[in-house]
Parts: sequence; C-alpha cells; structure tokens
Amino acid sequence: MTLKIETRQADGVTVMSCQGRIVFGEEAAELRENLKRVLASTRQVVLNLAGVNYIDSGGLGTLVGVYSSARASGADIKLTGLGQRLRDVLQITKLVTVFEVYDSEQEAIATFHRGAA
Amino acid sequence: MAFQTIVGPSSGTGSGVFPTLVFVQGNEQRVINLDHSPFGVGRKVDKDLVIADPRVSRDHALIVSENGVFSVVDQGSKHGTFVNGERVERKTLERNDRLEFGVREVAYVIFNPQHGTTNSAREFLSQISGMHISDETTDLEKLVLFLEAARKLNTIGVLDEILMTLLDVTLKLTRAERAYVYMKNARGELRLAAGRNAKGEPLLDDKTISHSILEDALKSNSEFVLTDTSRSVDLTGRKSIVAYDLRTVICVPLRKPQVQATRAAEAPGPAIPAEVMGALYVDSRFASRDISGVSNDILHAIATEAASLIENARLVQAEEAGRRYQQELSIAASIQQRLMAVTIPEVPFAKLAGRNLSCKEIGGDFFDAVNTDEGLTIVLADVSGKGVSAALLASTLQGMIYSQLTAGMPLTEIVTAVNRFFTDKNIGEKYATVIIARVRDNGDVEYVNCGHILPLVVSNGEVQRPAHGNLPVGLLPDAKYESDHCQLKPGDRLILVTDGVTEAENARGDFFEDSRLELAAKTGTLEQIFTAISNFCGGTPLNDDCTVVELMYTG
Repeated sequence: MTLKIETRQADGVTVMSCQGRIVFGEEAAELRENLKRVLASTRQVVLNLAGVNYIDSGGLGTLVGVYSSARASGADIKLTGLGQRLRDVLQITKLVTVFEVYDSEQEAIATFHRGAA
Repeated sequence: MAFQTIVGPSSGTGSGVFPTLVFVQGNEQRVINLDHSPFGVGRKVDKDLVIADPRVSRDHALIVSENGVFSVVDQGSKHGTFVNGERVERKTLERNDRLEFGVREVAYVIFNPQHGTTNSAREFLSQISGMHISDETTDLEKLVLFLEAARKLNTIGVLDEILMTLLDVTLKLTRAERAYVYMKNARGELRLAAGRNAKGEPLLDDKTISHSILEDALKSNSEFVLTDTSRSVDLTGRKSIVAYDLRTVICVPLRKPQVQATRAAEAPGPAIPAEVMGALYVDSRFASRDISGVSNDILHAIATEAASLIENARLVQAEEAGRRYQQELSIAASIQQRLMAVTIPEVPFAKLAGRNLSCKEIGGDFFDAVNTDEGLTIVLADVSGKGVSAALLASTLQGMIYSQLTAGMPLTEIVTAVNRFFTDKNIGEKYATVIIARVRDNGDVEYVNCGHILPLVVSNGEVQRPAHGNLPVGLLPDAKYESDHCQLKPGDRLILVTDGVTEAENARGDFFEDSRLELAAKTGTLEQIFTAISNFCGGTPLNDDCTVVELMYTG
C-alpha cells in the first residue's frame, strides 16, 4: 500500500489528506472506502492531495466515481493541494471542469461557509 | 445437435484424455470412453450404449458435453433416467455419479470413476519404497515412509493415485478384504472417491458396505472405529452387516491436519476434533479374514498420515486451480493481443505503424485503423484499470467504435454514443481515454481527444501538441464532445501514445514524461521511441501497457 490517508475536522469541515500514490488496486479502494465512510456523516469534505505525487487512470476513475455519487447525494468534495502532475492530468482529461479545485485548504474550507451563509 | 469430438478433461482417468463410463450389468463390466457427444443410450442397436432390456426405451437418454461439462439428458423415456437414485430430466454429471436408465439395480453406469488403469505416480512410489525400505522395517515404518514419499511427490492430479496408494497400503497392513475412501463434497455429503479390494481390483459400488458404521464414525470424536460384529451384541439397524455377512469393519474419519504449534503439553480442556473431510472404510467378511486384531498403532498411523496426505494432495490441486486461473489470464492476454493485431489499411497518402508493449498484467489498450471514403481513421484507447475486466471493456469499445466508423458516423457522434453506452451500463469507475484522428488525403486531420495524452505532430524536426480535448468516455453521462482540426504537410508525422508511455518508470521512480517522449519522437521512428523507453526504464518492469501509433503523411 502506497497511500496514507488522514482525516481531521477543521471549522466544521472534514479534511482528508492523502499521502502517496492513488493507483488502481488497493490504494484506489482505500480512498473510496475512506471517502464513503466520511460521507456517511458529513456533506462537506475537502480532499487535500498535496502529498499525492501520482494518480493513475484507475485512481482518477475512483475519484470521479466518489465525487459523482457524493454530488448525487447532496454532498460536496472540494479538491486542494494539486501538484503540477495532478493539474496536468485533470487538464488533459478536462476533469478540471468537473471538480471544484482550490489553491489552498483554507480557501476550500471557506467556500463551504460562504455557501452556508 | 452437431456431432462433435470432445476435448475432455485430462485428469487421470482410464484413457487419460476422455472421461469414462463404467457400464455394469450383472457380472459384466465394461469401460467406455466418452469420446464424442452426444452419446446415445437406449435399446436401439445403433446406440453408443445399447441396453437390451424392455424397460429401457429405444431412445432413452443422451450424454452430452458442453465446454467440458457433461450432462445426462432424458429423451422422454418411459421408465426414466436416474442419477444417484433420483429421477432426472437433465443433470450435470459429477465423478462417480451412478446413472440408471429405466432398469434399476440390474444394469447401471458409473460416470468417470476415479480409477486409473495406469498409475505412474503409484508405480513411482513403489519404486521409491522398494529402494529405501529394507525387510527389517516394520509395516508401520513402511507405511510412514511410503506416505512420506507420496507427500513429497507434488505431482499434479495426483489425488486419485494417492487415494489408490492409500487403499493398497491400508489393505496390505490390515489384511482386510475391501477398502474405500470417502470424501466430502462441497455440500458436505460423503461421496465415494475410490475403492479397492485385496486383489487390487477397483471397487465402484459401495452398496454392500455398512453405511451406518460410516455415519457413526463421522459423528464420533474417536480417531477410528473398529467394529467386530462377532462381539457386538446389538446389530439392529446394521442392515449391511447382517445382509452381507460383514465380520470386521474399521472406519477412520479423515480429519484436516491441525497446526502443531498449539499442542502444548498442558493444553487445558478436551481437544476439539478437527473438521472431518472424509473417511477411510475397511472391512472383511466372516467367510474370509478376521481383521479385528489389527494393531492400534497402525490404525493411528493411517488416520493421521492419510488425512495429511490427502490434504497435501488437495493443496496441490488448489495450486493447479491457481494455474488454471493464470491460463485464463493468458487467454485474456491473447484476446488483447488480437485487439492489437490490426490489419493496417494501405492508403496512397500515408504510412501507418503501431506497436504495443504489454506489461505483465493485462491492460486495456487498443488501437485500430479504418479506411473509409472520409479518410484514414486511427483510434487509440486506454481503458482504466487492468486485468480481464479492462480487456473485455476494451474489446467492447473497439467493436463499437469500429462499427460506427465503417458506418461513416461523425467522430463526435461516435464518442458521444460510446460515452452514453458506458455511462448507461453503469460499469462503476471504469472509463476510457480515447483519441480518434481522421486523416484525409489532403493532409487535413480531424481529431477528437477524450482525456487522452495529447497527440504529437512532428513537422520539420519540431514537435507540436494539438491541445484540444474533452472528458474521457464513460465518466459523466451528459459530457459534450467536440473535435478540432490540424494540418499535416508531406513528411509530417502524427504520433499517438497511451499514458503507459509517459508514465513508464525507471528504478528511481522517475517517469518517462512528455519531455522525453517529445525528444524521442522528434528524432526517431516508432522503433526508436520504444528503444528510448526501454533504455530509460532499464530493468524496471512496465506498470502499464505502452502503445504508440505513428502515421507518416506522404502526400
């Protein structure tokens, strides 16, 4: 397993930080299970991918899958901490138009509060 | 139904290739190879198996093979077809199933019994034991050595032969008349796995054994049950003992070997008996031999050794199943290789070449090339994930795109339709990146890029990356797709790659990256690009398939 996931609360928003690689197989499954578990109790998740140096097609599929089902159930996942590689991948796949991406974690958290106000 | 030759399971049966039927009628016993399907049974003289009895219908039943699975199909016979005593219309056959056609008891057929006529492993075993066992060794030592030897022989498909060896040795040691091994099937029912008499003849029929003792032995916690009927007072319910004059019955439940590590000397409480996986049954009749004097040591040795021996043989078989799974994978790999084996269309204005370097696991890359009135169209796709599912999805995708291309559909409509298909089918997180490029004879290229690595256009030693793109197919149902155009001059090359190329890794964990790809593409041909990749990776195996397609526009 080359993926570590840490979950914490910040200003009433769940922040999940990933470290390592999100690749097809147990890493992608780990991410899916963690997100699913968190989404059972909260609707506001910030996914910090600053520690992710690689995401392959399978990992990307997982991310989109969880993202879509979260949206469908009225929850929201916002991405932050995207390195150049991840930005490139999202750019090539045009998924940048699908996800909400923020430059910093604070900014992502703040948008939830703005939305609620 | 067409007459076909069967390629049967190759496990150790009579002929070694085809399953066998053992036909028993009165004192007659005949072994028939099931070497074709359908195999007819009936009273008519042209049947494969003719049973001349008025209770057997003229066209009574068929034994058919489908993908190596055998079934018996009743042809509306008057008196019915029975499998293990149950009347059936159609039933899948398992080893040692007993088939009866209209006439019961008098004539029956055993399907594919586990009795090899040639027995290489067993012969080998006796050779080993012959070499190493001197006359001074006791029977018990012989048995242990013999079984040890068998255990070391991890020959595939050896279970049958192990069982036979076990029976032979048991018969020799106990001097009993008959010996049978029963194994539990998946439903927990005991099924006869092998039987043998003291003359070394296979016994296919267990009607005359004491099933009640067999059941008792399984229920009891004891290591073995020895029943001496001459001393036993109560024989109520022991039908067979009375009917068949059985003198001594030894029944040894075969328990799964337990891990030895926990066997502490002061282990508290009563030992919990291990799971029973079968039983060894040995008996003798009054008329012949008395085996009640068999030493407990020998029975103890048989009970423990036999179980671990069989368990080992089973493990070997499980390993074999794993090997079959690997075979399945290699089949999937060959499916994928066929997807890659594209007949490249000859066009006057362009030369096309494609190459794929597969990683160990099967991936979901494919490419295709179709020449229509609109131009030469090349397709390169990469289904997310790996393995058989990715390969299957890739072949579906290839079929869909190919048929729509030949139908002359616009490129954007093709990917829209494919996207709709994939998202409708809801195949989870699987999706594909696809690039389709159509090159006309005037050098105009229309391309639609769905999340794929940007194409490369090499012109006068410079690399351009036409950057228009869309979402991958299969992720979002309402995705919109657009195409773009670029222009090729004679001598220009259009190169499409999958991300296995840019994400090829070396030992340090660096990727091949776009920069190295562009450099390799600028100066080299398809082959040189692959050389650059393998030089970069060194000995590091590929994580993903690498596919490169190169089109040279000649004008």
